[in-house]
Amino acid sequence: MALLEVENLCIDYRTKNGYLRAVDGVSFSLDRGQSLGFVGESGCGKTTIGMGLMGLLPPNGFIREGRILFEGEDLVKLSPDEMRAVRWRKIAMIFQAAMNALNPVQRVGDQVAEAILVHNPGLSKEKAMEQVEELFELVGIETDRMRDYPHQYSGGMKQRAIIAMALACRPALIIADEPTTALDVIVQDQILAETRALQKEFNIGIIFISHDISIVADMCHDIGVMYAGQLVEYGSREEVFEDPVHPYTKALLSSFPTLTGQKADLVPIPGETPDLIEPQLGCRFCDRCREQIPSCKEKTPEWVAMGHRHKALCCRCEMGR
Amino acid sequence: MQDRPEPILDIQNVEKIYRSKGALFGARRKDVVALRNVSLKICEGEIFGLVGESGSGKTTVGRLIVGLEDVTAGNILLDRENITQLKGRALKAFRRKVQMIFQDPYQSLNPQRSVLDTVSEPLVIHRLGRSADRKEQVHKALKAAGLSPPENFFYRYPHRLSGGQRQRVAIARAMVLNPKFVIADEPTSMLDASISAQIFNILLKLRESLDVTQMFITHSLAAARYLCDRIAVIYRGKVMEVGSGEMVIRNPRHPYTQALIDALPKFRTRGVVKRYDTLLEKDRRLEATLTGCPFYPRCAVADERRCHREDPELKLLGDGHYVACFRLA
Repeated sequence: MALLEVENLCIDYRTKNGYLRAVDGVSFSLDRGQSLGFVGESGCGKTTIGMGLMGLLPPNGFIREGRILFEGEDLVKLSPDEMRAVRWRKIAMIFQAAMNALNPVQRVGDQVAEAILVHNPGLSKEKAMEQVEELFELVGIETDRMRDYPHQYSGGMKQRAIIAMALACRPALIIADEPTTALDVIVQDQILAETRALQKEFNIGIIFISHDISIVADMCHDIGVMYAGQLVEYGSREEVFEDPVHPYTKALLSSFPTLTGQKADLVPIPGETPDLIEPQLGCRFCDRCREQIPSCKEKTPEWVAMGHRHKALCCRCEMGR
Repeated sequence: MQDRPEPILDIQNVEKIYRSKGALFGARRKDVVALRNVSLKICEGEIFGLVGESGSGKTTVGRLIVGLEDVTAGNILLDRENITQLKGRALKAFRRKVQMIFQDPYQSLNPQRSVLDTVSEPLVIHRLGRSADRKEQVHKALKAAGLSPPENFFYRYPHRLSGGQRQRVAIARAMVLNPKFVIADEPTSMLDASISAQIFNILLKLRESLDVTQMFITHSLAAARYLCDRIAVIYRGKVMEVGSGEMVIRNPRHPYTQALIDALPKFRTRGVVKRYDTLLEKDRRLEATLTGCPFYPRCAVADERRCHREDPELKLLGDGHYVACFRLA
């Protein structure tokens, strides 16, 4: 059984102008020890997916449809109290700009211990601190820094402390939302390497959310490309990045500067992302698409299987099949 | 340093130290050395990339050139005129020639001003043209920055613009004075990749059409490679390597540049980019001193006897490629 199975997830936000569908019919699954990455531009719904899985949607957001099967249990049906028992214990999240998530007036070690104590009420403080020590060793912070305050840490160390906190209850699934965006490349590289090692050691499933294609390509077995609330292409890293079929994936890849290849082939995507309150009929990308055909505007695209797991939501691919 | 004709901007041995006053009760004064002995020459019409991590001093270089901060020592020459001593009218005249594009377009635009107000403000400040002409100049600047048709944007306020559009307004504001030199400080770090590519292409086009020399400050080697003719890599206030973009990235010689390239995610570069492994597993925990190479505490190939005592100078390796490292001497 897959660790996580999401079926036809739809998440809406109530706004002044009506319901905004931030996530529209997204389905995917993830096994233990595997990682899945979501890429897309800002506003495509990737963070909303993470928040939806954690049950931490803002007050105006709610799950309209779909199922989130975690270890066989549907999280959508759980009450807030039941969800609290799952959250952090079984599913942990590393938030965007996580280094600002630490309490500035509490020692870092104590903060991590608190996360353990809240979820293991019977545990003594000393036992919890022992666990914190182990966690710090695990993520590569010297244990004599446990009694320091967050301002004495560098950005990379704070990020490691946050990862330690996410690991505190030995979760089966970690959702990492832009975990290294604010860090320098060298520190980022170290943290990603550590994350990879920890994933292997504890057999954790990880969902990476990032706008940085290169990180997702480096870290994830499977990739989901998102556009305007929909998953538009899904497949293994090799399938999606080496043989992309959806025009949006191709456009995204060619707008990304790399260290190799021809200098001249950086191509921006024209236009802006569409309105999600009244989404257009047909394909949502077609106004910006280089390869559009007349039927793109009229027909709602359907999933086309391209390979083993590789699939794309595109009318042109449908034709070519 | 570079034997090319007539640099438009000449930074000579610039040093910048931020003095701290220390705490009220006795804490020691600790000065922060932001730049040490930085010398760079930028030629007319070139796009020059300054690459470094956060805290490396790259933004400080930009702020010194525009005159937002004063140098502690050294000279900065623009068109052979020393700008570090300028005051009053001369300073104002100089500011017409140099403009800056800031990192965050959500903060650098005044939310209470329309696009027309924002972009024409520099003209008003420098008393250029009459108001009718100004509108035309704003029109031209917006068009050059890729906002078309410009009339549609005149009376919009920043909250009705997307991030990419805001940054283009910021570019238009910098370009409206027809500056000789523009500094773009991480102009795309807040934007998505697809929008970044648009901004890059606008900057490239501006160089062609208006002949503006640019300094592009970034943390991304890949972006610098795409945009820049030459690149300088800066670490803890010291310039480590200077050379043409291709040279620095294809054949990095300084251990720090090599470590940077190692650290980049190997997306689409598997097997193409070789690993250098110049970074120490564990940092040598040394007190930061003013002597020695700033990269010494992290450098795996450092010479224990020499590198932490002497400060290496930039040496020419040939073909305009300069590296500050004893290992290569």
